Amino acid sequence: MNAKLVARMAWRDVRSGEMGLLLVALLVAVGTVTSISLFVDRLQSALLQESSNFLAADRQIKGSQVIPEDFVVQARQRGLETATTLVFPSMIFAGDLNQLVSVKAVDEAYPLRGELIVGQVPFQRGSPTQAVPKPGTVWLDSRLFPAMNVALGDTVEVGMAELKVTQVLVAEPDRGGSFFDLGPRLLMNLQDVPATEVVQPGSRLSYQLLLSGDEEALASLRDVLPLKPSFEWVSVRESSPRIGRALDRAESFLLLGGLLGVLLAGIAVGLSAHRYAQRHFDHVGVLKTLGATPGQILRGFMSLLLMVGLAAIAAGLLLGSLLHVAIVEVLASLIAVDLPSPTFRPFLLGAATGLICAMAFAMPAFMHLKNVEPMRVIRRDLGVAPLSRWLSYGAAAAGSLLLLVWYTKDLWLTLWTLLSIVSICLVFGVLAWALLKGGRVAGMQAKSGWRLALAGLQRRRAENTAQILIFGVAIMLLLVLVLIRTALIEEWQNQVPEDAANHFVMNIAEDEVAGVRALVRDRATEGEFLFPMIRGRVAQVNELSAKEWQAQKRPGYVGSQLTSERALTWSLEAPGNNEIVAGRWWAEDSQEAEASLELDYAQDFGLELGDRMEFDVGGRRVWATVTSIRSLEWESMTPNFFIILSPGALQDFPATYMTSFYLDPTEKVFLNTLLGQYPTITVIEIDALIAQVQKIVGQVSQAVELVLALVLLSGALVLIASIQASRDTRMAEHGLIRALGGTRSLIGGSLTVEFLVLGTFAGVVAVFGAELVVAMLQTQVFDLQMELHPWIWLLGPVAGALIIATVGLLGSRSLIDTPPMSVLRGLY
Amino acid sequence: MQTSAGPLVILDGIDLEINQGETVAIVGASGSGKTTLLGILAGLDVASAGSVHLLDDNLSDLDEEARALVRGQHVGFVFQSFQLLASLTALENVMLPVELRGDTLAQSHAKELLEKVGLADRLDHYPRQLSGGEQQRVAIARAFASQPTVLFADEPTGNLDTQTGERICQLLFDLNQEFGTTLVMVTHDTGLAARCGRTIAISGGRIEPAEHDAQDDAQQAVSP
Repeated sequence: MNAKLVARMAWRDVRSGEMGLLLVALLVAVGTVTSISLFVDRLQSALLQESSNFLAADRQIKGSQVIPEDFVVQARQRGLETATTLVFPSMIFAGDLNQLVSVKAVDEAYPLRGELIVGQVPFQRGSPTQAVPKPGTVWLDSRLFPAMNVALGDTVEVGMAELKVTQVLVAEPDRGGSFFDLGPRLLMNLQDVPATEVVQPGSRLSYQLLLSGDEEALASLRDVLPLKPSFEWVSVRESSPRIGRALDRAESFLLLGGLLGVLLAGIAVGLSAHRYAQRHFDHVGVLKTLGATPGQILRGFMSLLLMVGLAAIAAGLLLGSLLHVAIVEVLASLIAVDLPSPTFRPFLLGAATGLICAMAFAMPAFMHLKNVEPMRVIRRDLGVAPLSRWLSYGAAAAGSLLLLVWYTKDLWLTLWTLLSIVSICLVFGVLAWALLKGGRVAGMQAKSGWRLALAGLQRRRAENTAQILIFGVAIMLLLVLVLIRTALIEEWQNQVPEDAANHFVMNIAEDEVAGVRALVRDRATEGEFLFPMIRGRVAQVNELSAKEWQAQKRPGYVGSQLTSERALTWSLEAPGNNEIVAGRWWAEDSQEAEASLELDYAQDFGLELGDRMEFDVGGRRVWATVTSIRSLEWESMTPNFFIILSPGALQDFPATYMTSFYLDPTEKVFLNTLLGQYPTITVIEIDALIAQVQKIVGQVSQAVELVLALVLLSGALVLIASIQASRDTRMAEHGLIRALGGTRSLIGGSLTVEFLVLGTFAGVVAVFGAELVVAMLQTQVFDLQMELHPWIWLLGPVAGALIIATVGLLGSRSLIDTPPMSVLRGLY
Repeated sequence: MQTSAGPLVILDGIDLEINQGETVAIVGASGSGKTTLLGILAGLDVASAGSVHLLDDNLSDLDEEARALVRGQHVGFVFQSFQLLASLTALENVMLPVELRGDTLAQSHAKELLEKVGLADRLDHYPRQLSGGEQQRVAIARAFASQPTVLFADEPTGNLDTQTGERICQLLFDLNQEFGTTLVMVTHDTGLAARCGRTIAISGGRIEPAEHDAQDDAQQAVSP
């Protein structure tokens, strides 16, 4: 067939609606993938930028030595922006008062990401600034004002330098990290550091080189710099695991959503191609009698598919971009981040999806057309040998695998999902077949709609089994997405509940506990815990000194040392967010000295149950036996301890206490009162950090919802395609029944029952499948707790029945409304 | 062919020769095998045994690809249910066989043929916009478009009323005569069969002994 003829046939098919569903299915496949990946692509960059605020840069190089000048040169050569900061603890003085602060000295370029927020009044909201403290000036954390009894314009002594206080420092972007490091901040200019003379050999210094710019340039810089052993390369995912994990999971979810969207669209493409082919058997028969060779037929229909595919791809890419623009527009008020320009990848992905969908899902059906016997033209009873199942399913499976692996870049996620779907189809295919076979009803049984439907269900058992599976898989994929989304969002929100404690109070002396708690109770929501804190270090393990023990167990270990001073605590009960993974928690009446270690800590230093450890607490020694190992959620915004001792071991030691409370942002001035009355206590504000986490979680959740909506659209398309696919057979039968006197209500009733039954079965398949897939995804991919969802067990079948009946009846409305004569004439 | 109830013989001992320019009617009761015979003669199907020669080709030795080429080159069809492609206009339907052969002058030739069958003003109509008789006239124009050597017709008037059937029949024979085509027709219509030069009656898959042989008269009738 020549190109002109093929083009004409394609155009006619499109116009007459024969090609409509296939075209729409391809269009939606391309459009969904393009818009999801466009959005994900841009959102990922945006989220990464937003979360880069935690570092005040895209990356940091961190070390306890001065960052070599060569590092800066190399970074600038790659077009990267740089800034330098130095953080060290120091005692500052104002009049008679002194306070230990965490000093951060910065250069003019700081911060590269995010912004500093300053104000004129302590504990009030501030406004962003592009500046940093000028030489000779400092900016102080709100709580240093009451603690040091200073006001703006006063001077404080930092080492040998006298510096003027010019601003209240309300927030700085890279404040995150472990909250034990969060001393009150003093921000100064890097140029003033020499004058302070605090930088001496042996000082505890932390130098940072902040970097921002092109990802490739960053990667190449990392490759060439001699970082080890003195310097550490820090990215947001490493420095802020909470954000890192939220991002990772969101990414997985968005990809999973895209993946399911592609699968659903693929099924829709396959179904509509199959129907198109079936409706063209006669057409091909005629062409063959007129002398078209099988080769010509094959080439002709392949070109036709290619033409339609290309048209769908072009339109799909356009649709995808428009959809994406619309999404960005709609979410503009919600997503405050400026979305960076998209890359080329989403378009490439969309186009490839269209092409692969057409090849893998539609091509087998089209190829099959060449096998139509020309004899069919005069002998309509001649069937067409069914399409080789190996060919069609094999092609679809190979196509899905190719697409999904490329799309998700995650072979495991893909294999898990596909494997679950295949096994569910096998099991439920057999089950559905058996169910439909049961209670044999012979003939047309046209007495009532109910019996007519059952007879129809049984007679078309093979098609109905396939349809149940297709409906089932479509509903299942949607359920999977809904459940995973719910689990993720719940988990994120649980991590940072609305009224989570956003202030920690430390250094409360024993005689201040009652007073502080009374004040807190009065003005804020008191947190759940009150921990004693005792500074101490490990002196000996079994027969060896701590130093020897570490040398033996972890030779050359450069991280924090076993002998480092740590915050110890004692507690009668295990903290709520801790899980005992080995041994057991001490009995309430235990008088023994027992120790419970955090899992990673124990592993790092080779400590096991039964080991005896000696602690040095301010010169006093105490021995304790390790009786339990705990794993804990470092992500929870509660204090966590590496070492907890039994009351028997520590309760006689003098301790300070820590607690937490939730303070509404409008009540910040309460901190003045608190610190005014108890000047020696330390308050750590993590409300800014929590707000930042909540903001990112909120954005990610929105993206997740959006992808869900897009995939729902693909799901609806599959349902329509599947109902269309079986429409011709139903049309033939029902036309005949109507011609023979069947009423419209009989046909309508029969169709309703048929779709309700199919939908219920499909719902059952979907529920089982969804539970299985979700369980696998939760445990294997998202690293969440596995849980069942009893609420979908009834909802699945009921919703399945209602949705299929609605879509089915809407789709077959013409079946009821078309005059029987037209139906019969269309048949023969 | 093999069925679950044992071997089933559809056509048996058919020995038949049709000469160029002959008009032959194949008649018989439903299920007698006449349509199967037509399909095999036209190369739409192959017999499980025996051979069929069409012009210089032994159809039984050819694969579907080669048989299609033979059909495109030498064979035309008229079907009971017209078998026009619904997505193409009358003109496009007529152009189709010539286009399939790769010829380029299809359009003017097709227009001529449609004029001949009296549908000059319906060129751009789709099959569903045409009556049964009109559709069959398009089908006849299409059948002659590739200037076939042999025309096979399967109950060409079976779906039409008597009057229309009569007119279509006349058209078919007129064009057949004009182009000097060999005509092989399956029909129930004894009147139609009577207009053919020879009638072959099939019963139970076998050719019945000839009752009436009008070959000579027919040849006279269709010769120019």
